[in-house]
Amino acid sequence: MIYTRKSPALLIIGILMLIWGGLNNSGSIDGMQSYLQASAYKDHQKIKEKFDAEMRVAIELAASEHERVPDMQMPKSKFDEAKAKQAQLSFIFGASFVLIGLFSLWMKPAEGNLDYFTSVVPGIAYILLIAFIVRWGLDPIFGNWGKAVKDAGILSWDFAKIFNLNYVVLGIVIGMLIVNVFKIPAWAANGVRTARFFLKTGVILLGTLYSAAELAQLGGLSVVMIGIFVLGSVGVVLFMGKRMKIPNSMTAVLSAGMGVCGVSATVAASPVVQAKAEEIAYTIGTILIWGVGCMFLFPTVGHILGMGPVQFGAWAGTGILNSAQVAGAALAFDPNGIETLKVAEIFNITRVLFLPIIVLWLAAWYVKHEEGAQKVNLAQVVIAKFPVFVLGFIAMFALSSAGTFAPAGHYQGKYFSSKEVKEDKLLKGKETRVLDSELARLREPEGAQALSKYLAGAHVVSEGHNVTPEEVYQALGDLSANKKMVTRQQSEILKSVAKMEGLDGVASGSIEKASKAATHDSKTIKAYRDWIAWLFAFGLIGLGMQITGKALKQAGGAPLIIGGIVGTAKAVGSLIVVLMFVKEFI
Amino acid sequence: MEAPKFERGTSLSIFVSDRREDFTALIFAFVIAFGVMLTVG
Repeated sequence: MIYTRKSPALLIIGILMLIWGGLNNSGSIDGMQSYLQASAYKDHQKIKEKFDAEMRVAIELAASEHERVPDMQMPKSKFDEAKAKQAQLSFIFGASFVLIGLFSLWMKPAEGNLDYFTSVVPGIAYILLIAFIVRWGLDPIFGNWGKAVKDAGILSWDFAKIFNLNYVVLGIVIGMLIVNVFKIPAWAANGVRTARFFLKTGVILLGTLYSAAELAQLGGLSVVMIGIFVLGSVGVVLFMGKRMKIPNSMTAVLSAGMGVCGVSATVAASPVVQAKAEEIAYTIGTILIWGVGCMFLFPTVGHILGMGPVQFGAWAGTGILNSAQVAGAALAFDPNGIETLKVAEIFNITRVLFLPIIVLWLAAWYVKHEEGAQKVNLAQVVIAKFPVFVLGFIAMFALSSAGTFAPAGHYQGKYFSSKEVKEDKLLKGKETRVLDSELARLREPEGAQALSKYLAGAHVVSEGHNVTPEEVYQALGDLSANKKMVTRQQSEILKSVAKMEGLDGVASGSIEKASKAATHDSKTIKAYRDWIAWLFAFGLIGLGMQITGKALKQAGGAPLIIGGIVGTAKAVGSLIVVLMFVKEFI
Repeated sequence: MEAPKFERGTSLSIFVSDRREDFTALIFAFVIAFGVMLTVG
């Protein structure tokens, strides 16, 4: 069979990419990019203002001393970097596609590997072009609209964040639109089949973002509680799916989505259990609809029951599936306080960190149940059928936990390091003097009483126990003596204390500054996140292209029923546990 | 549009088997991981 179709499409896509790269490089679309890259452009303007001021001073100085104005170059901003990256990717892929496009037009295809793999490239280019449009265009446009609608007061929440209108969901929707409205062109059909391969590569790399040490630092209660509810939800969905005779792949992917962390868990589990594209779409739809409902319902229930910030944070972090919706519910419950959000995020992170365990479980479950009808040796089946790329994910997770990519204990590339605090970020004399005087004030009977009251009222916890005034004195003393945060625990404690009413503003600011200076971003993990985002965008657009209206109808409504039952059971169960135990343990 | 038929691979993959796809993805992911480590890290 000859796979290569003679078409100029690949050449045209390559030329379009080269034009986009050229436009970015020349700066002729800076106006449009300043809208699309709004936050990076703000950073650019700040740097430009600073540079212009320095330039003016340099010109005045040179004029007064009758010397030449020194050569000065404006430092690169995030906006410049974003444009350069778009140009670089467009040039690399554009040039490659132009060359391969010319070659495929020129060559006389004959059966074999050359014909087969050349025929794959137009489909890859087609999806990549759409991925460029989604990631560089639609994703930021929806982000801007979400913010604009919120800022204008039309909605009190950011609809783009709440409905997860990012490149993941948009990619699937665009893929579905293409296949159902425009159809996939014949020249791209072969390459579209690479989507699952790139998705698997993305899932393997996903292991780099998490670290086991982070899980250990989160404190006993969140791990136990989340563990019970995550594993329980997965188990119940698997049980119900079997009882309702839903396909194993659908059941497994729904269990990951309902149990762990919504969309990303669904995506991670889908190739493990060979889920069909429409099953993934159904699961994501179920999770998002359920999550939006919870986001509005949880804060109301929380207020009716008179829940405290810790209780509500624990409940929202356990019961709601999507990270943005967890944050939305926490902020809706307590718009001015950070405590609820912090607790909710701790529980949310704990849930996400269960992903490797669930992926392994589902892989073994799927292999067993697909072969379950026959009496076979499970070990042999696992060896023959176990998805090898899951081991890659686990290997990456292990390497990440060992500190290969970023210091051990990082979470998605953010880590604490006192050693790496730069000289210019150390606290100044005035700041340490204010901290010393605040420390002395807090040691006096009146200050000590206020501090104890605050620590108890705000439920300030560290490593699973209530923080004592002595720990605060020690942390403040260490901060002042070293001019920087010494340990992560002290940083967390002091960040909570900084919000205490009556504390000197300079002291609060110094604590925030020192915490920020000791928290670092790993460039390596940032690069991995970028790779993962591209691989997922590509894979999901391709998967979207396999979802036809007919397939969705065939999938039926059973996933929605299971999702609703398990989601409600999880929300009610976690509410009962929170009300019974959280106050006593935290 | 006519349904595309492929003699090689499946309707979801260009690879002849899932195992082959998994191993290729594994190699590709490790190439990316160590490539990034060498260039960025």
